[in-house]
Amino acid sequence: MDKTTRLGSIQLEKATVNFDDRFTLSEIDWTIEQNQHWVITGTNGSGKSALAAVLAGVGDIENGTISNLPTKVGLVSFEAQAELIAKELKKDDADIMDVIAIGTPVEEMIFDHCQDPELAKTLVDKFGLTPLLDRAFRKLSTGETRKVMLIRALSSKPDLLILDEPFDGLDVDTLAMLQAHLASIIDTTPMVLVLNRFDEMPDFITHIAYVDHGRLALTVDKNDENAFNELYQLLHLKTTDLSVPEADPANTLPALDPSQPLVKLNQATIKYGETVIVDKLDWTIEKGQHWQLSGPNGSGKTGVLSLITGDHPQCYVNDIFVFGFQRGNGESIWQIKQFIGYVSTALQWEYRVSTSCRNVIISGFYDSIGMYTKSSDKQKKIADQWLTLLGMNDRADQPFNKLSYGDQRLLLIARAMVKHPPLLILDEPCLGLDDMNRQLVLALIEKICQGSETTVLYVNHHTEDRINGIENYLGLKKN
Amino acid sequence: MANYFNTLPLREQLEQLGKCRFMDSSEFADGVDALKGKKMVVIGCGAQGLNQGLNLRDSGLDVSYALRPEAIAQKRQSWKNATENGFVVGTYEDLIPTADVVLNLTPDKQHTPVVKAVMPLMKQGACLSYSHGFNIVEEGMQIREDLTVIMVAPKCPGSEVRAEYVRGFGVPTLIAVHEDNDPKGEGLALAKAYAVGTGGHKAGVLMSSFIAEVKSDLMGEQTILCGMLQTGSILCFDKMVEEGIDAGYASKLIQFGWETITEALKYGGVTNMLDRLSNPAKIKAFDLSEELKVIMRPLYNKHQDDIIDGTFSRVMMEDWANDDKNLLGWRAETAETNFEKTPAGDVEISEQEFFDNGILMVAMVKAGVELAFETMTAAGIIAESAYYESLHETPLIANTIARKKLYEMNATISDTAEYGCYLYNHACLPLLGDFMKDIKTDVIGKGLSVEDNGVDNARLIEVNEALRSHPVEAIGSVLRGHMADMKKIV
Repeated sequence: MDKTTRLGSIQLEKATVNFDDRFTLSEIDWTIEQNQHWVITGTNGSGKSALAAVLAGVGDIENGTISNLPTKVGLVSFEAQAELIAKELKKDDADIMDVIAIGTPVEEMIFDHCQDPELAKTLVDKFGLTPLLDRAFRKLSTGETRKVMLIRALSSKPDLLILDEPFDGLDVDTLAMLQAHLASIIDTTPMVLVLNRFDEMPDFITHIAYVDHGRLALTVDKNDENAFNELYQLLHLKTTDLSVPEADPANTLPALDPSQPLVKLNQATIKYGETVIVDKLDWTIEKGQHWQLSGPNGSGKTGVLSLITGDHPQCYVNDIFVFGFQRGNGESIWQIKQFIGYVSTALQWEYRVSTSCRNVIISGFYDSIGMYTKSSDKQKKIADQWLTLLGMNDRADQPFNKLSYGDQRLLLIARAMVKHPPLLILDEPCLGLDDMNRQLVLALIEKICQGSETTVLYVNHHTEDRINGIENYLGLKKN
Repeated sequence: MANYFNTLPLREQLEQLGKCRFMDSSEFADGVDALKGKKMVVIGCGAQGLNQGLNLRDSGLDVSYALRPEAIAQKRQSWKNATENGFVVGTYEDLIPTADVVLNLTPDKQHTPVVKAVMPLMKQGACLSYSHGFNIVEEGMQIREDLTVIMVAPKCPGSEVRAEYVRGFGVPTLIAVHEDNDPKGEGLALAKAYAVGTGGHKAGVLMSSFIAEVKSDLMGEQTILCGMLQTGSILCFDKMVEEGIDAGYASKLIQFGWETITEALKYGGVTNMLDRLSNPAKIKAFDLSEELKVIMRPLYNKHQDDIIDGTFSRVMMEDWANDDKNLLGWRAETAETNFEKTPAGDVEISEQEFFDNGILMVAMVKAGVELAFETMTAAGIIAESAYYESLHETPLIANTIARKKLYEMNATISDTAEYGCYLYNHACLPLLGDFMKDIKTDVIGKGLSVEDNGVDNARLIEVNEALRSHPVEAIGSVLRGHMADMKKIV
């Protein structure tokens, strides 16, 4: 089939598009020719995901025209992923009396309504999902659900493929495989990628769109070197002096015995039925000893972390010593959590309450999702300092769940750091952040590593996100 | 076994029915101390059993699960639930004799055989706990004199009990002590510690009685919660189709409409639900609901009377003994209704449209909530109890209809609730026959066709005043105040 008959050029003329009154894209002039492959970039909250979503037909056109939108779009984004997961979780929310919802199996999620089962089958294999096919979709890790989304989109024979941050959260091998697959379909499938990281831009990209404050500020042909470099500069963090807001002096923790480690896992094992996820892991974290934890998707990184935080039910059948407690001797999880600051993608999925941005930061003092107690004036003041640092002080009273994914992430990082916890666990903290904010967060982590009070446990796939001050590495392998 | 409530003198009946007090958070200062170091054994590992157990363990308590030998041998779902979560699992004989507290979290219908099986195994002076009092109150189960009997009933599905705890919060919980079985006077301390262990004390705890819990729970579930939503679904669907509205649209409007409009109810009571309508539509919904209340009041009274004097449970247990003939017959009939058989159409309905085109549904929810509340409080049940058993639970049931319509609702609610729903539906369908004859698509399916949204000032003030001053709104705003940062049903 000839491409020109399948898809003419997509045209936006002075288009103003509204998204449920929470965001507006204004006066967008943009043409996508049929043989072009675009990257959309911009800071968190600028509207780059929104612009991609417009191509999928999302949003209400208030002014201007949009013509020739493709009929069949393959869309992968955090928002779509969150929606799919929320839909699955909702099945669980609803059991009124005494039924435990099992959830939809991965196989059904992929192969029901699939346009190209052959391709889907190949991709399932390449992504390493074959052993997970009969697992419930909602039991998958974040990286694994992302892979399911990608397979669904790639095998749907789309007229236009829109991938919003497709590479985030993928391990090195999977990332290379996906990039190679995308490169192999450029002649048949036009693509629009939303990317925060310039260094992840595939070679086949022909054009870049830069979005700022809901406007399409710049479009650049990649062959135009000068324009390209300027854009790169624009996206880089200006060097500023960072100072971390102080902790709340009223928030005192029980003293820890300095002669004991913070955490000691002895032969830690996680298994479901016969499937072993983590096998006999020994790990000791001493105070002041910062760690980086890495490993491919499904190697049990999050599982190990949740043994430490007390969120994994199998922490009760393991030999675990944390913050002076040998687990399973009558301590409560809140006694454990008071020593920990924590951020992860799973936390962000779970943080769906209608509360203000300021309260999200303050909830870090209470280890809660949402606020159920009255906060002190001091805590409010500290939260406002964090908001200033993140450049979000004008949003203190706005509802958290209306923010973009990246802005939410920044707030959750502040929430984890706000009490200067003895152990700060950052499970892929930069997922979904743009270059500028990623630099900001990494700088903050370095700052915290330099202080003496907080020990940092950092999980990341990206080797270039090394942090000065972290000198201990633990690599997990897939079983 | 005789109906326990009917053996009590009137004075005692009234006192028990009226027992309900919203507890102050200072009453939970001792935390879980009363249960520290004690051995808690849960019977049943369904949604309530598993999730309560997870919370109690995370609060530092010693929890294990007693299952029937066949559940263990065949590695059934309950066995998997418990073992995959790292709990000790054993037979009744293994675990019950060592238990300080036995938590009976099996379905109502199994209570009699389960309690008869475990009672001889329980050690002297131990505690038996329930999450619903039907077995004690309606079936008159006699518990050994040395045992303490308490109830701790989270007013939400099991998954919610867990999710709220993990967020650092809890769900509203009702506790009670069976006064005939409190030999050491420790029942209240144990029940309070248990409520803290599940996180309930953070969302509000009602101190009630076994009797008040049973009589109000039965009333709520069979009238407004399941009965009204089932009856309303069938009537509204058939009317729309009769008036020529596309069946797929009608099906979708109802299937997802209950959930959408009761979400507004959950956040701001009946007032907020009606405030979502335009002024003329609000007045229309108000008038319809007043009419419905007059027609349906005798039915609500009959349900409450039959629950109070034990007629309801006697008739239901006769059906249990008859292999659920009535219930199963009706369940099959429900599956055959046109609403059930018509899939939701592939049409977009915005959140506001569910209100605008579902004025009659709003009126039905309002009438049902207010009638259930009024009837319960008139029978001596305290407002707090009546609120939780009517308004508070309506969105939870509406959510099950949104999933897979009436069959799903009836499959997931308890057998007791389903039997009550059957009785209500049977009586209410013919009762509303004449009323439905005058109903047109302006109140169900299409929305009002008015030139403008003008209304008479005096009438609007009257309607607003009546909405806001209803007693369910007064108690509702107090109790909702304890549920800050409520989670959105996504």
